[in-house]
Amino acid sequence: MGTTRITAAEQEKALASIKKPDIIKKQKLNVRYHVEDYDISDRPRRFLEAFAAILKHTNYRFALEHFIRVSAKCSRCTVQCPVYLATHDKHDIPCYRSELLLSVYRRHFTVGGALRGRLLDNGELTDEKIEEMAESFWNCTACRRCTLECPVGIDHALITHLGRFILSEIGIAPRALVVSTREQLEGKTGNTSAIPVPALIDTLDFLEEDMKAELGVDITFPKDVAGSEFLFVPAVSDFLMEAETLMGIAAVFKATGGSWTISTDYFDAINYGLFYSDRMLERIIRKLYAESERMKTKAILIGECGHASRSAKYYVPVHCGGTKARPVYNIMEYTHRMLEEGKLKLKPDAITDTVTYHDPCNIARQGWIIDQPRELIRAFCPNFVEMTPNKKENICCGGGGGTVSIDEIRPYRTTIGGRAKADQIRATGAKYLIAPCANCKKQLRELVEDQEIDCEVVGLHDLIYKAIIFDTKEQKS
Amino acid sequence: MQELLDFARGPLFRLTIALMVLGLLRVLILDIWGAITAYRRAGDRQLAWGDALRKTIAWLFPVKRVFTKRPIYSLCSILFHIGLILVPVFFLGHVQLWKSSIGLSWWTLPEFWADLLTVTTVVFGLTLILGRVGSAQARYLSRKQDYLWIPLLILPFITGYICTNMVLSPNWYVILMLIHVVSAEVIFVFLPFTKIAHCVLMPLSQFILALAWKFPARVDDKICTTLNKKGAPV
Ligand code: HEM
Ligand code: SF4
Repeated sequence: MGTTRITAAEQEKALASIKKPDIIKKQKLNVRYHVEDYDISDRPRRFLEAFAAILKHTNYRFALEHFIRVSAKCSRCTVQCPVYLATHDKHDIPCYRSELLLSVYRRHFTVGGALRGRLLDNGELTDEKIEEMAESFWNCTACRRCTLECPVGIDHALITHLGRFILSEIGIAPRALVVSTREQLEGKTGNTSAIPVPALIDTLDFLEEDMKAELGVDITFPKDVAGSEFLFVPAVSDFLMEAETLMGIAAVFKATGGSWTISTDYFDAINYGLFYSDRMLERIIRKLYAESERMKTKAILIGECGHASRSAKYYVPVHCGGTKARPVYNIMEYTHRMLEEGKLKLKPDAITDTVTYHDPCNIARQGWIIDQPRELIRAFCPNFVEMTPNKKENICCGGGGGTVSIDEIRPYRTTIGGRAKADQIRATGAKYLIAPCANCKKQLRELVEDQEIDCEVVGLHDLIYKAIIFDTKEQKS
Repeated sequence: MQELLDFARGPLFRLTIALMVLGLLRVLILDIWGAITAYRRAGDRQLAWGDALRKTIAWLFPVKRVFTKRPIYSLCSILFHIGLILVPVFFLGHVQLWKSSIGLSWWTLPEFWADLLTVTTVVFGLTLILGRVGSAQARYLSRKQDYLWIPLLILPFITGYICTNMVLSPNWYVILMLIHVVSAEVIFVFLPFTKIAHCVLMPLSQFILALAWKFPARVDDKICTTLNKKGAPV
């Protein structure tokens, strides 16, 4: 599959700076995303201090050491990076992006590099380099496709992840993510969308009425039922934007008799920490886990959301007790198990239009959730077509790594980041594009709109809602 | 001249080999030690060992890659590597040298194969250089060592080939042999300190990659303390 390269005009539009010159000057930072005002004095020194503190307390050092020893500079990663494939800009070569941070590491944190740097009097971290990193690390969607192709096994997305973390410690991080995280951890509402509890309850009541009207079945969203099997936590934005996904999930629980609950104390699985700060990642995970302890549920069940699922699945064990921690599942795992066990029945031809499936990077790249959604789709849709490449090698929606939540870079996301995806979607000619991820859905909707593709973006449970069969009387009542 | 060659083949050879072995052991031990430390600090020690092993094998014998992305480049690289690894170790003349310097000997490559692999290594080494010089992306990434390594690596192959396959005057033979031996020794010395260390570190890559995402538990507090950020708002 060849990705079409963007034209000069598109590039200009995508990269146009939306920032006022006085802000750029005041913040000493010419990047496309907004940043809250921060201390601009002495940035290199503070960057290095933050870098040192992070190296001291985390596990990054050994990986960086390995990377600088083996890096072959072969440029193979270019064939995988959707951003590079769209721009053909040398600055977007994954290995180049990584070198930005690796060179700082080599110069300031290895003996050989420091010696050489002193002797030749070069390579010191400068303000310009910090600005380049601030730009480059947020051009990447953290999709981790480049890692598939690196022959010596360098994980460029890990380096980008670390680079963003260090930058955030000196105050450089997208305002959209920081503000949401602040509300989630310290705000009155305790969630990234700032939804107050009464509004949440209203929404859920409203959805229950809707389902009654549409399906003729009493389906509820259990609230604060301590001791349930699952604490269900979706990306909180679903309560505002993905009503049908939530209704589909509630219907599945009704049909299968599952024990689940939503907590009105904490109902947000979004974890922007995964995108800009390991410290925030940790705090959010601990908050989530504390809620499952308080509600005494057996497990944590994350809704249709890739990054929320990955952060909970991989970092609950890290921060909350290793193998002894409560297990974390994604809702598709539950629904799929119910289908396998025969508890969930779906009309085999509920959807006759062509349907295609987008693998969210955060659940597919490492091979976690790949076949389950496909088996579910085939159970209610005879016209399922694959995009290529797919599964572990899927192409990012273009809004990965938190970039989708940065509204001001929409032109970038839909012309550059999502270019390869747009080509893929077009090639399928599908009517429905299933994307079981809150972030992917938002990005893909903007993408099909801006790229004028005739295709409806939906969640998996949105369609399951249309296909579900309630067969027993007891279920109907 | 002859004395110089004897010195290069004798004590200098043993010295540079020793340096190479020690240097490679050093990076190998540092790498493994780093990984063990990271593993012990990790908050979650479940690792996808099988998956990492599968990927490691796939990259050590990258047959599948030849047929997918960048086939020509992959093929050149593989053919370049085969001779690069086999000839120094299994060519008859080298095995005799190994025997006289470290007292061990082993199976040898048939002469025909030794010659053929020498030629493939030189030819595909040259294509790799051309590929690098000819690709704007690779040029942009390349450091000095990326350009210098292949010429340096094929120099002993070229001189060795000439010495074994052509009729030379004794003087020329000694001169070329000297270049052959000394260039190989330069390689031995620099190998552990540059990207060529990948010849021992590559098998660790996929495990390191899997482990690198396993962070230590509860570092928020520690980092805040170090950076004087305790109690600061998000
Ligand atoms: C155990 C065995 C080895 C493995 C698995 C291995 C693997 C690799 C890989 C994956 C690359 C990266 C890019 C590419 O595919 O070209 C590479 C490049 C390279 N390797 Fe090896 N290697 C091995 C041994 C060696 C040895 C012993 C040498 C030299 C003494 C060597 C010299 C090189 C050079 C010069 C390059 C760069 C090629 C270029 O410039 O494009 N390798 N190797
Ligand atoms: S993670 Fe994805 S977007 Fe970022 S450099 Fe790699 S392939 Fe490109």
